Amino acid sequence: MGQPSDTSGGSASATDYVPRKGAARAWLIPIVLLVAGLVVGTGVGWYVAQPPAKAAPMIVLGPWSGSEQAAFIPVLDLFTRTTGIPYEYRTARQEDLATDLPIDFAASRSRGDLIFMTSSFIKQAGADGHASSLTGVVSESGYAPGALDPVKNGSAIYGGAYTGKVKPGFWYRHSFFDAHGFQPPTTWAEFGTLLANIDTAIPGPNNAVLSGDPGWVLSDITEHFIATYGGPTMHRQLTAGTLAWTDTSVRNVFANYLVPSLQSGHWSAPRNFQTGYSEFWAESYGLYFMGSWITVEAAITDSTDLGVFSLPEAPGAKGIVFGPDYFFVPKYSTHLNDAKELAKFLASEPAQEEQIRHGGNLATAKGVSITDYPLVDAGVARLLEGKEVLPDLDDTKGNPFSGVFWSQLKGLWADPTTLDTVLQNIQAAA
Amino acid sequence: MTRRAGRRTRPRSRDARKLMRAAFFVPAVFLLVLLVVYPVAQTVYLSFFSRSGQFAGLDNYGAVLSDRDTIDLSDTRLPYGTLIHNAIWISIHLPLSLFTGLFLALTLQKVRGAAIVKSMIFLGMVTPLVVGGIILRFLFDERSGIVPVGLGLLGVHSLAIQWTAFPATLLFGLILGSVWLWTGFSMIVYSAGVTTIPRDYFEAALIDGASSWRTFRKITWPLLRPITLVVVTMTLLWELKLFDIVIAAADPGGGVSGAADVLALQMFRYGFVNIPRQYNEAAVVATLLTFLTLVIAGSLFRRILLGAPKKKRRFHLVGGLRRMLHI
Repeated sequence: MGQPSDTSGGSASATDYVPRKGAARAWLIPIVLLVAGLVVGTGVGWYVAQPPAKAAPMIVLGPWSGSEQAAFIPVLDLFTRTTGIPYEYRTARQEDLATDLPIDFAASRSRGDLIFMTSSFIKQAGADGHASSLTGVVSESGYAPGALDPVKNGSAIYGGAYTGKVKPGFWYRHSFFDAHGFQPPTTWAEFGTLLANIDTAIPGPNNAVLSGDPGWVLSDITEHFIATYGGPTMHRQLTAGTLAWTDTSVRNVFANYLVPSLQSGHWSAPRNFQTGYSEFWAESYGLYFMGSWITVEAAITDSTDLGVFSLPEAPGAKGIVFGPDYFFVPKYSTHLNDAKELAKFLASEPAQEEQIRHGGNLATAKGVSITDYPLVDAGVARLLEGKEVLPDLDDTKGNPFSGVFWSQLKGLWADPTTLDTVLQNIQAAA
Repeated sequence: MTRRAGRRTRPRSRDARKLMRAAFFVPAVFLLVLLVVYPVAQTVYLSFFSRSGQFAGLDNYGAVLSDRDTIDLSDTRLPYGTLIHNAIWISIHLPLSLFTGLFLALTLQKVRGAAIVKSMIFLGMVTPLVVGGIILRFLFDERSGIVPVGLGLLGVHSLAIQWTAFPATLLFGLILGSVWLWTGFSMIVYSAGVTTIPRDYFEAALIDGASSWRTFRKITWPLLRPITLVVVTMTLLWELKLFDIVIAAADPGGGVSGAADVLALQMFRYGFVNIPRQYNEAAVVATLLTFLTLVIAGSLFRRILLGAPKKKRRFHLVGGLRRMLHI
């Protein structure tokens, strides 16, 4: 009774077995405690047994992948050869970092030791006490005047400028222009005629200019119009927030130039900018407004076939947007000294010379000669001559302005007649 | 002897059982309080305070609800604001996915190889919505997307455009795309529900000469009401939480002019995009979403977990929902 009975002549039958409840319970508690102890013990052991952070290499977070990453790695290798400090490069989109880093910082941690980020983010991180001061590490005298202003709070420097990208204007293929007898325009009227002619030459509508998506491409185009037809002063005032987007002078730039051009029907609807490289190279579109990094994109198989022109200038309005790649060192870096050493190196002439040698970038450090550039980049560098260099407007202002600016410009591209609403909404976020 | 011994040990075993229950219960409660109750309470708390930490009453709620991102009826054209967009999403997506799922479940009931077709339709449901959003972006591409290109071939040139580049096509494109992704859910639930209806009813209806429509209206539809309640509730909850499909197909700003912006995306921007962070405003949106979700989920839980509610309550909760949804 109550015991397992052996009715099959050997093994116990499951139907006959009646376990003793008390005994089962008596075993269960120690088992539960044992499992709980194991879980806690494993957790504590894992935490304690973590290798010291110093054993891991310094982590560099940058936005570049593919060919752009390949052009940056030799610079980091040069740094390691020079200093003996190892590094690990990881690609991280700045849009993602803008979300992730504040969470890291709130926990007094950082996923990178030296991070490339937008100037507005770095400035805010400095103000919030999350960025290490680079005063004395990065010298303002090594750059053109004002180059570090976007990453300064008072006199304290929280970031450094690496090489940068210029947004020079509209790229085209020499072979395509030669085949159709097109020339870069010298007047606004010629620009309109060129778009019409390209649209005729390529089958299908809206094929003259490829508009890139996401919104930062539209932002770059718009800034180019403002810098050219509103002038550098207007661009700087809009960046500083001292001029309203609804001001008549600003509205005129849109109403007299950008909007009529969009309404002419020669611009594509915003399309993915990455697939845009291939589409532009395949001559599905005649012109592509893009930054100078286009020269090292994988889809561009022969950068010597690339040409670029800026919008025909209005008298006295000479400005061009140049966006340096800014970096900073979080206060919570586990390799603080190494990261500062790298910061110092990246701001130096040797590092930037190594970078520009691979194409797609322009140096910010003084002393880099135009003869150091590959041919196509030297052409881009020449476009800067005699023009006032302007900071990237949306990068400098940061979110929430950037997000609103981009989405409103998409709205303008979709329906140019909504200009006044678009400007009001941008102004509300400025 | 065994019985007597059992009697003697029963009080002790009852204590041990209580202890055991507590031992299992306490960790769960601890985790629940730590990971659910505390964050929810903290979020609600945060929504009533200013960024500087001072009590703000309903000021944050007023600020969020009067924000043009939330409600914008200044123009007849899109965008209308996140709250309205969520409502539009519900009013189109809910009936479409519900009735498409029901139609497919009933149609495929007696079809050979229906399991394969159902599996293919259900694939949309098991696809991560971020992936779904990216797929939609390609589907709506004016050069390679099947939707604009297909419409162009059919002669509808006004819709042979880049759908994600225009406010109306973006919002309604995403809604239609999400119907494709979500229909598998209602189809599977309805398919299971249909099998629970006794065949006798249909046979009796057949003998009485009832038409297919009448059979559906008088037998199938009424007996599927509990299933419909589940589908409606789950779909509504999903529609309120919409986030991943929009951010993947458009951008964190809700796409062109914010035409596809939704509440969860607005909360994300307040909390994790805007600088400085607007945690209090994000908490307001989170609280509003939680409240709306609880109101809807409460009806379902009352019905499913607690059994049929009392008539009076049923009139207020389940009945109200049913009247609202005409089911």
